[in-house]
Amino acid sequence: MLLRILGKSLARRRGRIAFAVVSVVMGAAVITALFAVSMDVEDQVSAEFRKYGANLVVVPQSDTIEVGFPGVTFGSVTEQGYIEEEDVWRIMRISWRTNILGFAPFLYSVVRADSETASQDVVMAGTYFDKQVEIIDRYSPSDPEAITTGISVINPWWLSKGDWIGRSDDYKSALVGINVAEKMDLELGDTFSISYEPYGGGNETTCDVTVVGLVETGGYEDNQVLVNLQLAQDMTNKTGKVHTIQVSALCTGCPVDTFAEEIESEIDYVEARTVKQLVSAEMSMLTKFEGMMAMVTMVAMAASVLGVTTTMTTSVIERQKEIGLMKSVGANRRRISALFLSEAAVIGTIGGVIGFIVGVFLARYIGLSVFDTAVSTNIILLPMAIGISVAVAVAASIIPVRRAQAVEPAVVLRGE
Amino acid sequence: MSAGIISADGVTKVYGGGTRALDGVTIDIEEGEWTCIVGPSGSGKTTLLNILSCLDSPTDGEVIIDGATVTGLSQDELTTFRKQNIGLIFQQYHLVPYLTALENVMMAQYFHSIVDEEEAEDVLRGVGLGHRLQHLPSQLSGGEQQRVCIARALVNEPSILLADEPTGNLDQENGRKVLELIRSLQKEGRTIIMVTHNPEISRLGDRIIEIVDGKVRSDLRTREE
Ligand SMILES: Nc1ncnc2c1ncn2[C@@H]1O[C@H](COP(=O)(O)OP(=O)(O)OP(=O)(O)O)[C@@H](O)[C@H]1O
Ligand SMILES: [Mg+2]
Repeated sequence: MLLRILGKSLARRRGRIAFAVVSVVMGAAVITALFAVSMDVEDQVSAEFRKYGANLVVVPQSDTIEVGFPGVTFGSVTEQGYIEEEDVWRIMRISWRTNILGFAPFLYSVVRADSETASQDVVMAGTYFDKQVEIIDRYSPSDPEAITTGISVINPWWLSKGDWIGRSDDYKSALVGINVAEKMDLELGDTFSISYEPYGGGNETTCDVTVVGLVETGGYEDNQVLVNLQLAQDMTNKTGKVHTIQVSALCTGCPVDTFAEEIESEIDYVEARTVKQLVSAEMSMLTKFEGMMAMVTMVAMAASVLGVTTTMTTSVIERQKEIGLMKSVGANRRRISALFLSEAAVIGTIGGVIGFIVGVFLARYIGLSVFDTAVSTNIILLPMAIGISVAVAVAASIIPVRRAQAVEPAVVLRGE
Repeated sequence: MSAGIISADGVTKVYGGGTRALDGVTIDIEEGEWTCIVGPSGSGKTTLLNILSCLDSPTDGEVIIDGATVTGLSQDELTTFRKQNIGLIFQQYHLVPYLTALENVMMAQYFHSIVDEEEAEDVLRGVGLGHRLQHLPSQLSGGEQQRVCIARALVNEPSILLADEPTGNLDQENGRKVLELIRSLQKEGRTIIMVTHNPEISRLGDRIIEIVDGKVRSDLRTREE
C-alpha cells in the first residue's frame, strides 16, 4: 500500500519531483566524475610510474644525487656513499615483500668507450640482469629462498633488440643505450672497449665487450652502457659496492611509503624514496584537481540538498490536508515520515542513477580536457553514487519531514 | 456521572488567539445513541467534535471514551486510540485525490493494521459503491464521495462514528441516502455523534444537544423512553 501511495503521489507531481531529481543528479554526477577521474588517473599515473621501472629508489643516506632517474639531474658519482651489495637482499625481508616484484642494484661510473669509429665518455652502469639472490627469511634462517631478480625482471621493456646478459659472471657482454649505439655506430655483435681511469690518477683498466642487446627507455639509460655489476665493480675497484637500488613494487594504491620506511629500518644506512616523491608533477596536478573537484562537489551537494529540501517542503505544505487525513485515519508520526522519506529515497535513487550516467560523460570530458587521457568509469561507482544520493536526499528531507509530523489534523481538516 | 461510552467533563478549549471556543462542556453519551449537535455558526460544534474524536486536546477538562481517559495522551497515543475506536466522516470528504475509491478505503486499513482488498470492496459495496471502486474522487459525485468517506470510516469497524455536517455539501436526495446509511449503521449498534445545521435532520437522532457560545444550552431527547 505504501508503494501504491508512493507511486501515485510521485506520478502526480512529476514536475516537482523532476526538479528534485535534477538537483540530486548534479551532486551525483560531480561526485561520480570526481571519483572516476581520480581513480582512473591514479591508475594511469601508477602505470606510468611502472614504465619508469621502479617505484622505489634506495640510496645511501644523505646522498643527494639520484643517479640515472628521470627528472633528476645526473651528477658526479665519484664522491658518494655506497650501499654494500651484501645488504641488497634485505629489501626482500620487509613485511610487504610479496608485493615486491624485484630489484636491481646499480653502480655507476664514467668510462671511456672506444669503438672502431668513435671514442666517447659514457656512463657505465653495472647491474643485475637475471640473477639468483638468496633471501634469508627471518623466521626460517636455515632455509634460504632463492629468487631471480634484476632489470630483466623489473624492466623487461627496456630491451629493444637482442638479449639480456644471461650469466652474472659474463665479463664479455654489454647492453648499450640506443643513443650510445647510434653515436658510436654500434650494432648487435659489435665489440668495443671500455676503459676506466680512477679519479685522481691510478692504473687504467680496460675491457673488451660485445653488444648483446640494445636498450631503449626514453630516459637516461639510453645514454648508458649496461654491464654486469661484478664487472663494473672489478673495473672500478669497488668490490661489493653499489650506488642505488631500484625496487619495483607491484601495487596500486598500496602504501609505498610504508615499504620505504620498512626498507630504511631493514638497512639502516640507506634512504628509500618513492618515485611518487621523485616524479610528483602529475600527482600534484591530480591533487589540485581533486581539491578543486571537492569544492565543486560541496557546492553541488549543497545545491542538491537545497533542491530536495525545497521540493519536500513544498510537497509537505501542499499535502497538509492529506497528511492530516492520514493522521485522522490512524497514521502516526513514524508512518508519515516513512512516506516522505521513501519519497526522498526514490528521488535519491533516480537522481543517483541518472547522476552516475551524467558523471560518466563528465569524467570522460574532464579526462580528455585536463589529463589528456580517456577516463573510463568503474561500475562500482554506481552503487556509491546511488548510496550518496539517497543519503543526501534523505538528509535533506529531515526538516520537511519534521514539519509533516507536526501537522495538526484538527487544524488542516477544517473547512476550505 | 453515569458511565456512558463517551463522557466529557468540563471541557474547555481556548485557541491560541484567545478565543474561548468551548467553555465547560459536560456531556455524557450512551452507547448506541445517535446524538445530534446543533448550534449557530462559530458556537464550537466542530471544536467539540474534534476533541471527542481525539484530533485535538482540550485546554481544560477531561474526556473519557470507552472507559479510557484520553486527556493528556500524546499525539501518537491519540492517533492509536482513534484508529481503534473512532471513525470520522467529514463535510469535505477529504479523499486523497490521486487514489481510487477503493484505495482510499484501503489506505485506512493500511494505517490501521493490514490491507485486505476484498474487505475494502465489501465495505464499498455496503455503501452502494460496488460499481465505483476504481474511480478517482474527481470522477465521483459529491454523494458518492461522501459514501467513500463513510466506507473509509467504517472499514476498521469502529464502535463510534463522528460526523461533522456529513450532508452539508449534498443535495436533498444524496443527503437522504447518506442519512439512511447512518441510520443503518446505528442499527448495527454503533454510537453516532453528528454535527448539523439543519433542525429537520437533527430530529432524526435520539438526542439533540444545542451548543451556544461554547456552552451546552439544551440537551433534549427526541422520543420519550
Ligand atoms: N484553530 C483555531 N484558532 C483560533 N480560533 C479558532 C480555531 N478554530 C476555530 N476557532 C474559533 O473557535 C470558534 C468555534 O469554532 P468551531 O469551528 O468549533 O465552530 P462551529 O460551531 O463548528 O461553526 P460552524 O457551524 O460554522 O462550523 C470560532 O469562533 C472559531 O473562529
Ligand atoms: Mg463547524
